[in-house]
Amino acid sequence: MNYPMVKILMLKDWYLQRWIILATFAGGLASLGIIAIGSDGAFFIGLLLLITALVALSGQLAMSAIVGERKEQTLPFVMSLPISYREYTTSKIVGNLLIFVVPWAVMAIGSFALLAFSPKSQGLIPYTAIMATEILVNACLVASVAVITEAQSWTIAAIILGNIGLNGIGYLVAHVNGVARWMWGSSIHWSPAAYALLITEFAIIGLMIGFTFFTQSRKKDFL
Amino acid sequence: MYLQIMEQIKQKVAVGDWQRGAEIPSIRQLAVALSVSVITVKRAYLELEREGVIVTHHGKGSFIATDPELSPRLYDEELAEHLEQAARLGTLLGLSSEEIADRLQEAFERASADRLTKEQL
Amino acid sequence: MIAVHFEGVKKTYPHFALDDINFSLPAGCVMGFIGANGAGKSTTIRILMGLVHADGGTVRVLGHAMPAEQAAAKLDIGFVSEDMRLYPSATIAWHMEFIRSIYPQWDATYAESLLRRFDLKKEQKVKGLSHGQRVKAALLLALARKPKLLVLDEPTTGLDPVARREVLEEFMAVLADEERTILFSSHNTLDVEQISDQITFIDRGRIIDSNDKEIFLDRWRRLRLVLPADSELPSVPGVIEVGGSGRMPVLTTNRFEPAMVSAYRDKGATVQAVDNMTLEEIFVANVSSRRAGERA
Repeated sequence: MNYPMVKILMLKDWYLQRWIILATFAGGLASLGIIAIGSDGAFFIGLLLLITALVALSGQLAMSAIVGERKEQTLPFVMSLPISYREYTTSKIVGNLLIFVVPWAVMAIGSFALLAFSPKSQGLIPYTAIMATEILVNACLVASVAVITEAQSWTIAAIILGNIGLNGIGYLVAHVNGVARWMWGSSIHWSPAAYALLITEFAIIGLMIGFTFFTQSRKKDFL
Repeated sequence: MYLQIMEQIKQKVAVGDWQRGAEIPSIRQLAVALSVSVITVKRAYLELEREGVIVTHHGKGSFIATDPELSPRLYDEELAEHLEQAARLGTLLGLSSEEIADRLQEAFERASADRLTKEQL
Repeated sequence: MIAVHFEGVKKTYPHFALDDINFSLPAGCVMGFIGANGAGKSTTIRILMGLVHADGGTVRVLGHAMPAEQAAAKLDIGFVSEDMRLYPSATIAWHMEFIRSIYPQWDATYAESLLRRFDLKKEQKVKGLSHGQRVKAALLLALARKPKLLVLDEPTTGLDPVARREVLEEFMAVLADEERTILFSSHNTLDVEQISDQITFIDRGRIIDSNDKEIFLDRWRRLRLVLPADSELPSVPGVIEVGGSGRMPVLTTNRFEPAMVSAYRDKGATVQAVDNMTLEEIFVANVSSRRAGERA
């Protein structure tokens, strides 16, 4: 694997998507600002905006940077560079997720910090951790679908389904016994169920990335 | 196309642009200069070598042949070609050999007159 | 050194198949691929670049097996295809810097001279370029790296005559170096005829002829005959197509020798003219006679 080339490709994508990335960062910061106002209403609005910004970022990045290569017909140009499918796939997946992970981490840590400082909501921390990771799983799904299918239709479907899934899972997890019991308490309680959910999510991420690389290696037509 | 290249080179020799023994561009250099395929120039050079117009020393390059008869010989060949053309066209027009000879005489006189005028200027 | 070697290559698609592609391109030569649209030129080139994996056969480019060693091979290959686009929101300058950061052989001086030659402005965004400018920009990026092998899919299509000439001259400049090779496909037979050393004809997924250009031009002729009244066309070996009408047939041969002319004269026909054929005429005649042969 040619790591310098992967880096060059990732930097290229980040440069070309710089406006989207900056806009999202700005939106994310604004949301945090709203949350910092302190009222409950501000908290929910800010949180919603933050999640929207994150989901929009991962979806838009996947569309512009991944599906876009095919739509803009720049795929021959990229594939004429001294790389194989390995460098291409790595740069797309890692490039996409890396950019996403930064605002995501800020949001997650910010949320944890806020919850930690208000004693009555500390029980929400495990739930928040699970849901934050779920957003990461979502981003990974969208990126994988984009790389494998290179099609706008499939990627949009993944974005929509992911969104619906996110809400559905949010509801479901809040009712899982192992989590619901301690959610509304004032202490942080990591139940086995909560751990299991968290570990499953990371496992899913690993599987998706592995599957993506596997499928890419079997492709016989890159154009 | 290789014939055109041969003609061009012969012209250059005939008018003295390229002297006997002078080095001429390599096949590749000429190909690049004319934007023509290497294989066409190669063919032209081979034919020219066969006709004795140029010589190619492997590893050293190509040169105009040092045969002192070269320029006059080229002009001679050209004259023979033109005469053959004249004979053919004359026959097509239905002229007799005397009529063709007369036309040649007229052309010769015109050419001499031209040359005198040029020398006077 | 053989720059490109295809042996027994085949590729099957639902509506098209490439079959038994064999050819060898020595370093320092120019090979032109001529074929109708859909004949298989682009597919062959993509297989060469490792962008499409063949279903069978061997492909070696600059000594590397493709597609397994494509990353190493592509370090020395400059590729421009008709369906290739640059990033619309970025400038030409950005693309030049991008390529320069990847390839150590980037020649900045040469790149600047190409900018002037092709009349391109560095700071212009790609999305504002006309088609011809876009093609020239892509060619600049490929040429300035001084690659050992230039692979071009329809490089002059859509260019105005001035641009075409500039581009062809730059291609020839590449060949000043004996070790550099060009393979290009075109349905513009004039370009191919001008600069190619070798020509390969492709039709319907198969190579129907591949040879030195001069050999093609030597062996193909059109003979115009006039037959005496009430006589049949004498048969002479080597004729692959008969056209014209009645007493004035036009024969096409791909194995011309002066002896053919005397053969016809001996059998009573008058040979009015022996015409050379352009590469375009040769190609068309080659294809039509083969298709006629398939139908028979």
